[in-house]
Amino acid sequence: MTEQRTEALPVRYAGLDDIVNRVPVSVVWEITLACDLACQHCGSRAGRRRRDELSTSEALDLVEQIAELGARDVGLIGGEAYLRKDWLEIVAAIRAAGMRCDLQTGGRNLSEERVARAAAAGLCGVGISIDGIGATHDGIRGVPGSFELALAALRRVQAHGLSSAVNTTINARSLPQLRELMDVIIDAGATNWQLAIMTAMGNAADHPELLLQPWQMLEVMPLLAELAVEGRKRGLFLQPASNVGYYGPYESIIRNVVNDEIYYHGCNAGDTVMGIEADGTIKSCPGLPSPYAGGNIRQTRLRDIWENADPLAFVRRRTIDDLWGFCRTCYYAETCMAGCTWTAHALMGRAGNNPMCYHRAREMDQKGLRERLVKVKDAGGKSFDYGEFEIVVETAAPGVLDRVSVHG
Amino acid sequence: MAESGRVPVLLRLCRGCRQFVRLNEEDCPFCGGDLDMLQADYDKRVADMRHAAAELREALARARLKGRDA
Repeated sequence: MTEQRTEALPVRYAGLDDIVNRVPVSVVWEITLACDLACQHCGSRAGRRRRDELSTSEALDLVEQIAELGARDVGLIGGEAYLRKDWLEIVAAIRAAGMRCDLQTGGRNLSEERVARAAAAGLCGVGISIDGIGATHDGIRGVPGSFELALAALRRVQAHGLSSAVNTTINARSLPQLRELMDVIIDAGATNWQLAIMTAMGNAADHPELLLQPWQMLEVMPLLAELAVEGRKRGLFLQPASNVGYYGPYESIIRNVVNDEIYYHGCNAGDTVMGIEADGTIKSCPGLPSPYAGGNIRQTRLRDIWENADPLAFVRRRTIDDLWGFCRTCYYAETCMAGCTWTAHALMGRAGNNPMCYHRAREMDQKGLRERLVKVKDAGGKSFDYGEFEIVVETAAPGVLDRVSVHG
Repeated sequence: MAESGRVPVLLRLCRGCRQFVRLNEEDCPFCGGDLDMLQADYDKRVADMRHAAAELREALARARLKGRDA
C-alpha cells in the first residue's frame, strides 16, 4: 500500500487516509437482478429481477447518499445492469455527483445504441466478463455465441472512447486457457484485465467441478505473474481481485500498481468497499451472503448503516483470535487475516480460514501434502447462498487419495 | 466516524527471494538473507541503473545535437 494517493493510481485505489476514515472508495451496486445470461458461477443466481427493486427516485436518492460518504467510484452490476430501463439516469446522476461510473457486464446485448447512449450519459468505462475461449466461455455463461458477442461489445466500447476492461473468473476450465485468452483480449484492445478466483457461491456452489482446488494456487500464481509481466509490456494491466493470492515470490509482481512493494493487506469490505443489492440492502462487499447485510436504505439512511451497522464492521474488529485452521497460525495472519471473506465464508461456512491461498499451498507442498475441497452439502438455491465443503489433506502426489485428516 | 478502518500491518519485501516479511525481521525467514544488506544492495543497483540511464540520455542528446550541427 502507499500512504499518498497519486494521479497515477486508479480512483478506486484506497490509500491510508481512506482506510482510517473509512471512505467507501469503491461502491459496487447491483441495480437489477434481471439478466440475459445463465452463468454457471453466478453468485446471485441472477435471471429475473427482484420483486422489490429500488424505484428510480429511490435509486437517484441513493446516488446522493453514496456521494455524501465520499465514494469515488461506482460500479454498476447485475444481473445485467443495462436491462434496467432507467440505468442511464442512474449513470448520469452518478457522474453529476462527481463520481466515476463503470459498468460490469456480460455484454450479450450491449448494442451499438446502448453503448452510444451510455457514453453520452457519462459512463466512464466498461468491464466485459470473458471466462475462456469460445465454447468454454459459452458453456460457463450458458448462452451459445456469447463469447463472440462479448468480444464485439468490447470493441464497441473502445470505439466510443470508453475505457475497457475484461473480467475473468479463474476456474477449472478457464485456467488452461488464460494465456490464449490474454492474446485474444489484447488483440481486441483491452487495457485492463481483472482476474478473480471462482467462488463457491450461488450457482457456482452447484458446480464443484468448476472450482479450483487449493493446490492449484501453485499453478495460478506463477502463471499470473508471468502474464502480468508480459501483459504490461503489451499494454495490458493485470489486476488480481482480492481473492487472488497470497504472498510468496509472485505477490509483488501481480500486485505491482506503482511499485513492487505493494502486497495484499487483508479484506477491505466495510472499510473502503461497499456492496448494494437491487432492493437497497447494504453490505460491506457485493458478494457476501445475507448475514453480512447491514440494513436497507428504505428503513435507514446510508450513512447510518455504513457507520454503525455491526454486520459491516467485521474487518475492522477482526483479530487473530477470530481466525482458525491453517490461517490461525500462519506467518502472515496479522496482515492477511485469512484473505477474502467472501471466498472463505462460501467454502467453509464462516470466515477466518481460507484454503485458496498460494502461501498455504506452498507450505503444504513442502511437507508433501495438499488440500482438496469436497462438497458435503448442497446450497439451498437462493441468491448468495453456499454449500458446505470439507478440506481433505492428502499426499501431494497426483492421484493418490491417501487421506491424512479431514476438517471443515 | 467512531471507528476507523483496519490499518494494515506493514510488511517489507526481501530483495533476496522477493517474499514479504514482517518488519521486525532482521534475516529473511524464507531465504535467510540479511534484509538490510539486501535492501542496500538493491538500492545501490537501482541508483547505478538510474545514473547509467541518465548518462545514456545525455550522450544521445549530445549526439543528436552534433548531428544537427554537422
